[in-house]
Amino acid sequence: MTATTIARPPAAAPLSGRRTTVAGAVGGLLLAVYVALVLFGSRLAPFRATELAGASLEPPGGEHLLGTNILGQDLASQLILGARASLLVALLAGAGTVLLGGVIGVLAGWFPGWFDSVLMRVTDLVLILPKLPLLLLIGALTGGSVLGLSLVISLLFWPTAARILRSQVLSLRSRTHVRAATGFGAGTWHQLRRHILPDLGLLSVAEFIPAAGRAVGLQAGLAFFGVGDPTQPSWGAMIRDAIAFRGVFITDAWKWWLAPPIVALVLLIIAITLLGTAAERRFSPRVARHSR
Amino acid sequence: MTQALRPPATLTTAPPDSGRGRRRAAYLRTVALYVVTLWAAITLTFLLPRFLPGDPLAALNDPDSGTFVYDAQERDKVAAYYGLDRPLVSQYGSYLSSLAKGDFGWSISQNAAVSTLLRNRLPWTLLLTGSALLLSSAVSFFAGLTAAWNRGRFADRALIAVLSVTRAIPEYAMASGLLILFAVTYPLFPQAGAHEAFATYSSRWDQVSDILFHLALPLAALTLGLLANKFLIVRNTAIATLGEDYMLLARAKGLSRRRLKYRHSGRNALLPFVTALGIQSAFALGGSVFVETIFAYPGMGTLLERAVFARDYPLLQGYFVVIAVVVLVANLLTELTYTKLDPRVGRRVGG
Repeated sequence: MTATTIARPPAAAPLSGRRTTVAGAVGGLLLAVYVALVLFGSRLAPFRATELAGASLEPPGGEHLLGTNILGQDLASQLILGARASLLVALLAGAGTVLLGGVIGVLAGWFPGWFDSVLMRVTDLVLILPKLPLLLLIGALTGGSVLGLSLVISLLFWPTAARILRSQVLSLRSRTHVRAATGFGAGTWHQLRRHILPDLGLLSVAEFIPAAGRAVGLQAGLAFFGVGDPTQPSWGAMIRDAIAFRGVFITDAWKWWLAPPIVALVLLIIAITLLGTAAERRFSPRVARHSR
Repeated sequence: MTQALRPPATLTTAPPDSGRGRRRAAYLRTVALYVVTLWAAITLTFLLPRFLPGDPLAALNDPDSGTFVYDAQERDKVAAYYGLDRPLVSQYGSYLSSLAKGDFGWSISQNAAVSTLLRNRLPWTLLLTGSALLLSSAVSFFAGLTAAWNRGRFADRALIAVLSVTRAIPEYAMASGLLILFAVTYPLFPQAGAHEAFATYSSRWDQVSDILFHLALPLAALTLGLLANKFLIVRNTAIATLGEDYMLLARAKGLSRRRLKYRHSGRNALLPFVTALGIQSAFALGGSVFVETIFAYPGMGTLLERAVFARDYPLLQGYFVVIAVVVLVANLLTELTYTKLDPRVGRRVGG
């Protein structure tokens, strides 16, 4: 969870090209497993997440692969079905963050002068706001559905993407082909559509991936605090329930109640990070320059 | 990273004429940005509950609710009692004036003044986050320099691999993992709290060591998450300085490796590092919420957890305002330190 970082350092710099590809492939494979869990989760999970499927605190074995929690709900089913909330928020919040940051960054980069400086001051302002407490406050007020949560995350975390895309637009607009098009009387819309936006695609992907990874951590963190749709199973909520049960560390229950959702979360974030490292190295001119 | 490509701070001298005036303008502009941000944060906490769905009197005004108050005059009286019948601007005015007096309202769930609750908790949170920021800064600075000077070798790669993983682990996962490992499986450290309950200490040192003993695991959990970012910044900046002419000159002068590493390479890596530190203060305070909750540490985080659970809005808002002030002050301090550390900053802003 690298929230709020202007100077997100290029993590890919030390890896050689081949290692980056391997890392990306491992990340992609891992992510594919999670996507499969989301797509086929309801068929794979033996029980519904909230169903009282067995006795309280059953150890793993038999029909309960990971045992049951204190209410007798099947933990394996909760784990499988919890993937949906994480990946949905990753997708929506990641896309929202890049979209919002992209619109603001492109506008700021294309219209220099007072417009640019106003937008950049707003960016600075949002960047220093303490975001987790704000997220908790808004989440507690709105209830924190997947869609609402993604929207709020996008509204708070766009500045990083905005800054990076803005500087790319600044660099693009001074290039010869863009200047030539301006000389021939090309309008703003034509320029953006024809010359600027196509060149931002890959960079946006490189920004989307870390934003998605951050959103996974945030969603689970909020669910950990009880902010989220209570009917939707999520790993954060599982961790919360396990920790709230004070006996979890006295018995062996933490092994199948607390550890699996943590491992699932960490592996997902690592998978996204690996993909991001590979993507950043390929797409981001900033890193390509650094690692040379 | 562009700063690193310029000559080191020690080689440039400020111009005698307009440097001071420009620097003062830069200071003022910085402070102004922070004042505006603080105002925005405070206004946001005022507006959010008023514009987001939900209404504190919904249960009284809704005919379908069990606590519906039939008499319209009675309902108006309640609204007037809470000042909710007044126009928004007037509510905003009294909100600002009570904030200025240090009055954050009354916590519904704890039945106490929000300011008292927060004041009792703030020192623990500051102890935890402050020491985590310090410790992670020290470790990441030396680790980053070491990695830069061994770039491509085993130490460098191992540090990067380990820290990339620790960076990916959310604080609550890290905290639970450490708790399981070092307080449950191998019970070396206490599972919860900030000090032994009902303890009487024979000496001051006893008390300090008890507090440190309880601090160890939460501190480790928070510190591990803060390392990677600063480590990579220091490492990459330091690598960028290695090829500079002044490094070649310093080497040619026969300066010791240690002096080169810390005085020449390290000092340049300090600048982006300090910026990252300011931004991390918000991140550390956010992370402390999780870590405190897992270890039942008596800071503001555990209070926040209860406030979220009980939907205790006055407490949530008070918490947010206090955190905003702490984060903004930390950022302002680092930015001012930055201008002090780098004599070029003031001039660059002016020109």
